[in-house]
Amino acid sequence: MRGLLNTLLANRKAAIGAAIVAFFILVALAAPLVAPFDINQRVASPHEAPSAEHVMGATRMGRDVLSQTIHGTQTSLIVGFAAGLLVTVLGTAIGVTAGYFGGKVDEVLNLFTNISLVIPNLPLMLVLAAFIGQTGPFVIALIIGLTSWGWGARVTRAQTLSLRQRDYILAAEMLGEPAWRIIAVELLPNLISIIGFNFIGSVLYAVITEATMEFLGLGDPMVVSWGTMLYHAQSTSALQVGAWWEMAAPCLALVLFGSGLSLINFAVDEIANPRLRTLRVPAKVLAALTNRTANQGGRA
Amino acid sequence: MAFLLRRVGFYVAAFIVAATFNFLIPRLMPGNPVDIMFAQAGGTLPPEALAALKETFGFIDQPWPAQFVTYLKSVFTWDLGLSVKFHPLTVNEVLLRALPWTLMLVLTSSLIAFAIGSLAGILAAWRRGGSFDSIGAPIALMMQAMPPLVTSLLALFLFAIYWPVFPTGYAYEPEIDPGFTLEFFCSIFKHAFLPIVTMALAQVGGYLITMRNSMINLLGEDYIVLGTAKGLSDRRLRMAYAARNALLPTVTSFAMTLGASFGGALVTEVVFNYPGLGYTLFQGITARDYPLIQGQLLIMTLAMLTANFIADVLYVALDPRLRKG
Repeated sequence: MRGLLNTLLANRKAAIGAAIVAFFILVALAAPLVAPFDINQRVASPHEAPSAEHVMGATRMGRDVLSQTIHGTQTSLIVGFAAGLLVTVLGTAIGVTAGYFGGKVDEVLNLFTNISLVIPNLPLMLVLAAFIGQTGPFVIALIIGLTSWGWGARVTRAQTLSLRQRDYILAAEMLGEPAWRIIAVELLPNLISIIGFNFIGSVLYAVITEATMEFLGLGDPMVVSWGTMLYHAQSTSALQVGAWWEMAAPCLALVLFGSGLSLINFAVDEIANPRLRTLRVPAKVLAALTNRTANQGGRA
Repeated sequence: MAFLLRRVGFYVAAFIVAATFNFLIPRLMPGNPVDIMFAQAGGTLPPEALAALKETFGFIDQPWPAQFVTYLKSVFTWDLGLSVKFHPLTVNEVLLRALPWTLMLVLTSSLIAFAIGSLAGILAAWRRGGSFDSIGAPIALMMQAMPPLVTSLLALFLFAIYWPVFPTGYAYEPEIDPGFTLEFFCSIFKHAFLPIVTMALAQVGGYLITMRNSMINLLGEDYIVLGTAKGLSDRRLRMAYAARNALLPTVTSFAMTLGASFGGALVTEVVFNYPGLGYTLFQGITARDYPLIQGQLLIMTLAMLTANFIADVLYVALDPRLRKG
């Protein structure tokens, strides 16, 4: 009975998380339709406080904050999902290759993974972004994707190493199956919970990192996203003059979207853990996964 | 010993990779790397200083390999060039002036988060499924989703602007003379309080989860059962038997988080106008001070590698199996 209740609760977490994420995706898709004002027009007086007409107030330039947040959702989500996808594809490819082929291949790839883990991400991204100049959303997604695959690769490799010893993989090898087929048909389906965990965590990390980079002045200030909104609010001293609403809207969006993703990941973790336990590597994988989430908090 | 030597070798390799990024990135950009790198420098630096700066970064009239060797030589003699924004200071001087403040924030906040998070993790694991565990663990996970940027802005607005209990910037009041006086230390404490609390909040959840999971895995071990059978007190079993061994993964996580929280410090310092590395870097980014931006990557990498090395040493001290190999 208790187990049933737990599963239900777990599903509820996943359901709430999925609902939040779906809401943001819908807002992003319908941004031009649901935004009440044109984001490039002066529609209010500078730093106008929230009112019935401007629910989240206006910026110093007289732009409607709610409309900007809605349009910003588009940019932030595209960067988040694109970078998350890139991180997951790179991490999975490198992790599975290293774990499956072993030997020299593993040594080289593992060395690269470990080096990428000890070079601090944010400072490296700042160097890249500074040299590229006014970085648009796609460049930021690319930079995040290329620098942040280390954790995914390490976790995937650990799990592949343990799967590699299983009888069904040996059986497939005895049958003379080609390596690509063993990886695609036998390995990847059994790695799906780790890949999913990696992807959701990476999207969350990418959305936060994009906002951070833009806040530090490394984005394209003409693009409207949650990060550039915070950047403009900071450079016009919005908080100091009491215009907290300029910061509140993008911050709220970041926290809400982040909570949605974490809820999904929490549920994935709960559902996947018993399976991990039967594979006899819970300690290693769990530690790696939690280290990873710990880092995502700190790194951004 | 062999273990530690191998680690040092790995760290040297990682540091060279970081330096290689610095070397390659300007050269891979479209256009002339010298023009890109020193676009802002022409206005502020005298010509002879500019010539020296070019040589530091390996822009000499020779092929790439020779340029790379020249650059590595500068890096390993810790000559990071001249700052464009803070002329006439060198990058080295600018970074070293800011480093103590960042170190203070990072170390204090990490130690506080480590202590609180690990203790909470021990308690959560000991009564797993209990009320503390079922409330604490999800909260800890949710806190991971709070970007440090948001927590910093919120803390700044609530406790420095709306209720002006704490200052909105600087490391100490400018009218106080730095020195070993009580007044000076109080001022430092007051200015560092909000940054440290926000940074600690960002990390505490991670330690709770790591410690909890690591403890839970150990509590099923035979020696814990034996300890219970011997009639050891709960407290002794929890701290001296389970927690001592469960600390091992936390130590690795401490090193990783320490390096990561240098990154977190960047944002917190910018929000609180705190004169550490992050704030200095922010000024450098705005002025496109490339030597400074490159220098911070090296010093951050060095900080991360040092943290990892300390973790390795602790690991050897805590885990007897490593002392032989």
